[in-house]
Amino acid sequence: MKLQDYLRFRRIKNKTFAKLLNISPVSLSRYISGERFPEKEILIKIHNLTEGLVSPNDFCLQDEKNYDFNENQEIELKKFHQHILSGSRKHLGKAITLIESSREKDQIISEKLLELFKGNDKSIRIGITGVPGVGKSTFIESFGMKLIRKGFKVAVLAVDPSSRFSGGSILGDKTRMEKLSVNKNAFIRPSPSSGHLGGVAKRTSESILCLEEAGFNIIFVETMGVGQAETEVYDMVDIFLVLLLPAGGDELQGIKKGIIEMADLIIVNKADGELKKSAEITQREYKNAIHIIDKSRISQDIGVVICSSLNQCGFDNVWKYILKFIDIRKKNNDFINERNSQKINRMWGLVDLKVKGFVKNISSRKFVEELLKDVKKNNLSVYRAVKMISNYIIKK
Amino acid sequence: MSKINIKDWINSAEKELKEKKLEELFWETPEGIKVKPLYTEDDIKQLNHEIGLPGLPPYTRGPRATMYANRPWTIRQYAGFSTAEESNKFYKEGLKNGVMGLSVAFDLATHRGYDSDHQRVVADVGNAGVAIDSVEDMNKLFDGIPLEKMSVSMTMNGAVIPVLACFIASGLNQGCPIEKLTGTIQNDILKEFMVRNTFIFPPEPSMRIVADIIEFTSKKMPKFNSISISGYHMQEAGANQVQELAYTLADGKEYLEAALKRGLDIDDFAPRLSFFWSIGMNFFMEIAKMRAARFMWSEIVKKFNPKNSRSLALRTHCQTSGVSLMEQDAYNNIVRTTVEAMAAVLGGTQSLHTNSFDEALALPTNFSARIARNTQLILSEETGITNVIDPLAGSYYLESLTSSMVVEANKLISEIDDVGGMVKAIEMGIPKMRIEESSAKRQAKVDSEEQIIVGVNKYKPTEKQDINILSIDNDKVRKKQISALNELKKSRDNKIVDKYINKVEEVAKGNGNLLEICIEAAKNFCTVGEMTGAMEKVFGRHTLSSKTISGVYGKNVKSNEKISSINTHIQNFIDRKGRRPRMLVVKMGQDGHDRGAKLIATAFADLGFDIDVGPLFQTPDEAAKQAIENDVHIIGVSTLAAGHKTLVPLLIKALKNNDADGIKVICGGVIPPQDYSDLYKLGVSKVFGPGTNIPEAAIEIMDIL
Ligand code: B12
Ligand SMILES: Nc1nc2c(ncn2[C@@H]2O[C@H](COP(=O)(O)OP(=O)(O)OP(=O)(O)O)[C@@H](O)[C@H]2O)c(=O)[nH]1
Ligand SMILES: [Mg+2]
Repeated sequence: MKLQDYLRFRRIKNKTFAKLLNISPVSLSRYISGERFPEKEILIKIHNLTEGLVSPNDFCLQDEKNYDFNENQEIELKKFHQHILSGSRKHLGKAITLIESSREKDQIISEKLLELFKGNDKSIRIGITGVPGVGKSTFIESFGMKLIRKGFKVAVLAVDPSSRFSGGSILGDKTRMEKLSVNKNAFIRPSPSSGHLGGVAKRTSESILCLEEAGFNIIFVETMGVGQAETEVYDMVDIFLVLLLPAGGDELQGIKKGIIEMADLIIVNKADGELKKSAEITQREYKNAIHIIDKSRISQDIGVVICSSLNQCGFDNVWKYILKFIDIRKKNNDFINERNSQKINRMWGLVDLKVKGFVKNISSRKFVEELLKDVKKNNLSVYRAVKMISNYIIKK
Repeated sequence: MSKINIKDWINSAEKELKEKKLEELFWETPEGIKVKPLYTEDDIKQLNHEIGLPGLPPYTRGPRATMYANRPWTIRQYAGFSTAEESNKFYKEGLKNGVMGLSVAFDLATHRGYDSDHQRVVADVGNAGVAIDSVEDMNKLFDGIPLEKMSVSMTMNGAVIPVLACFIASGLNQGCPIEKLTGTIQNDILKEFMVRNTFIFPPEPSMRIVADIIEFTSKKMPKFNSISISGYHMQEAGANQVQELAYTLADGKEYLEAALKRGLDIDDFAPRLSFFWSIGMNFFMEIAKMRAARFMWSEIVKKFNPKNSRSLALRTHCQTSGVSLMEQDAYNNIVRTTVEAMAAVLGGTQSLHTNSFDEALALPTNFSARIARNTQLILSEETGITNVIDPLAGSYYLESLTSSMVVEANKLISEIDDVGGMVKAIEMGIPKMRIEESSAKRQAKVDSEEQIIVGVNKYKPTEKQDINILSIDNDKVRKKQISALNELKKSRDNKIVDKYINKVEEVAKGNGNLLEICIEAAKNFCTVGEMTGAMEKVFGRHTLSSKTISGVYGKNVKSNEKISSINTHIQNFIDRKGRRPRMLVVKMGQDGHDRGAKLIATAFADLGFDIDVGPLFQTPDEAAKQAIENDVHIIGVSTLAAGHKTLVPLLIKALKNNDADGIKVICGGVIPPQDYSDLYKLGVSKVFGPGTNIPEAAIEIMDIL
């Protein structure tokens, strides 16, 4: 652990700690900033005084550049935050960019920014999944407009796949929402899946925080029902909606089995025209099958409703269900407990990312390369190599 | 006569070729048809079509027995701009100089059913066609042109009911009885959803409108073509010839069925259906396409058991391809148009439009329009090609090619049949996607210099020519239209207007004939916008949900230094900025030319950009909002219908108002060089005109960023 972090963590003032070390506060701040390297005795003293948490390595290996904020930057950041609070779209847009950025400096700024947020449990975070073409965007468009008319502020996040070959992507195709996109109480932001280490999708929950800070109280996260992202999205929302087509069976739906099991509400969309009948049949089938499903978030049977996003029918039932769902969960504290555990999950997710970052960093180190050679030549077992590398990381 | 032996030829050909292989002389067309270097009588022994005789089923050789030997094709030049008065003058000038039939181009506000005073059309009034708000404008448009004698073709699809109603009302005003009106209404809504983008209502009510018109005209206007089933726009949007052929015939089938469902007899309307092809530079392919189309259509109609053989005959209008014409070295376009016109004529067209050489710059001037017209007059009056009917019939190559086209097109038609017809296929986006693939492939070939365009990617001119262009002061036109509208609304009896508008709404809800009621409404001075509005209340306004393709450009563009330089540029950018360069590609106003925008979007994504795609018909404010929310680095405006002078300043203002002038703006599309400096003064970073090489543009954009 860095000395500075330790002092913050233990809430020890620099001055106090300097006294304990018997050095001047100025010298201490030089050690902290990395301008100077402490003598051996001092290093040992620090090690002892910090319960062994701050070791000599924490001083010399400056892998992460230290973007310490000066006063001006702190002020800038506060202003930035104020802009977000006052509803500036530009700053909200930029904040999400910072969160998604692969640049270390941006990461640090975004973390500082997020630290200023007060958090908000008045919002409802809604995940939406379903196969391509089931009508997710149309649903969000019509349902979102309805909520805006009720006085809500609606934001939509979506992750578009980046090309594996070029890394570029087409954005916004999946989130074509014509009325919503021009409404001043709506904010739509598609993001490319490439970019940040581990995928921008991993950063969506931070983007949600930004939107909430800017006063958006309904957050939709659109995702496709075919890939991996569903579990990730499930873990960042309060309620997870699965949209289905009016057709029988999961196989016909082309949707993964596990996904139905994550549903907090099943919506059969396109219940209009010729499809209305078969939508009703599908609804009945799923209602019957629902008892078998392990309900994860709510103790009652999960709802199965039909709607037509095109004709804007059936939304009252959807909204009633969502409100009831949230209400029950708020009353028994499940709502806040889950948000907290999501927060912890997010933290572990970030730890995971950090570790992966480390691993990626050291994989080009000389000694690792030599290790690899030895492993290939059978001079060294895989397991010993693992031990050596992890020891190295732990020491750092 | 000695019997030929193909082996003898192969031997001597191989001798001439020396090291080269004979296979290297084979050519694969963009349609995937393998063309051999030599055709012989063996190639026409087994054909998939019947050749027959002109004027007789299956009409492969032409719908009339005597074709041009008796009467040449009709020279019909598509035109319209500014106000009705201005266009009227232009028509009269043409008619004095060899034009034989009129063809009206409406402005985009009219196309989309908006009156000139609507807020969404500030940049569209009178710009890319003539502004028509009511029967009064229609009266001015045909002032001094007797509709009893003049055949008038009208390119109108979205607002087809109100506009045709105004036309009929205007004819009646002139004293021409309704049954004497001659001409064509395009009325082909399916290809609007596919490529032309001037739809208004969703597909279902739109198809009802088509049927209403076929029904009305078949009963009351026997000399009027109720529909012009158009492949033209598909080829212009990027379709190859097989796609153009197949999708057009598939559209035709859909219209046949819609009319039959109305209870009409096939012989009541089939003879009044007409077609419309684009004729590009692939000379023989175009001729083969026209002949294959006539054969295939007769086969299609035959299944409905017509008694009148005229029901089987395909009559067509043709236009030379606009997209083959270039901004660079623009006089070359005269030559291209001549070649294309010749193909149209040898293919047996009934009427023809030839483009002007300034096609890629602006609407034609009097001078460029004259050359375009004369191109046809020279072909018809100086060359002697009119004297023999269908002179290419029996050509080994041509007949064999025709046969291949029949086979290939039938494959595509089956694909459409399999999903349940064209309306379904369009809903699923199949034809649009296929066409966009072809368009991306072609661009990749042009950018890689595999497909040569003289003066653009080879033999480039060293000096720039200055070309005079027609420039329209659309602000002035709009103000004029608005004041006329205000006048009209003051002078007409608004109670009667309300009564008819309500009736239109009622008929839209029920199942009366919309054209019939709108003729009454038009006579009583209801405007195009009001009639459309009444229908819109019932039908709603359609929005397109189309997806952008990806990977096709990237796969087909040859990697070279340019491409690898883009890669390094982008990598550097990511290191500096923490993400890929992100560009929003926008289409503002009613301009529906989306080929370029779609191409730029898909190609730039394939080159490694993150691309946001705006919807069609955005306002500048909406575009700015999207750019800001998505925090893009740059907005790429694609503009082809002359709206740039109005819309780009508004966009830049909207960005400034939101304190977002950090977002760069570039423009592309049909922008006359005369306008570049104004755009730069406004703060536009760069303008990319027609013929832009995409990898080069990408590098320039990286430099801007
Ligand atoms: C194809 C075409 C059509 C097709 C459009 C199909 C489609 N879905 O796009 C069809 C046949 C449907 C059509 C219809 C009409 N058309 Co038209 N059409 C053309 C044509 C022949 C070619 C345009 C084209 O697609 N070129 C190929 C693409 C790839 O090139 P591009 O768009 O220029 O893009 C390149 C560059 O400009 C640049 N670029 C473009 N955008 C951007 C953006 C960025 C960010 C960047 C970096 C680069 C870039 O890079 C691209 C690659 O090189 C032009 C004339 C011409 N030769 O340019 C007329 C033209 C644009 N049409 C015209 C008109 C008037 C119409 C109509 C309005 C006619 C009418 N009154 O009914 C209709 C209405 C259509 C509508 N809904 O808006 C006029 C416009 C007049 C004007 N500007 O004053 C033109 C100029 C012809 C003319 N001279 O009369 N048209
Ligand atoms: N009939 C009917 N069509 C609908 C309905 N909802 C959506 N559609 C249509 O279904 C198609 C796909 O809708 P989208 O909203 O784009 O679907 P999506 O699930 O967001 O698709 P992706 O983003 O590609 O995964 C569009 O053509 C819609 O018009 C509905 O309720 N009824
Ligand atoms: Mg979607």
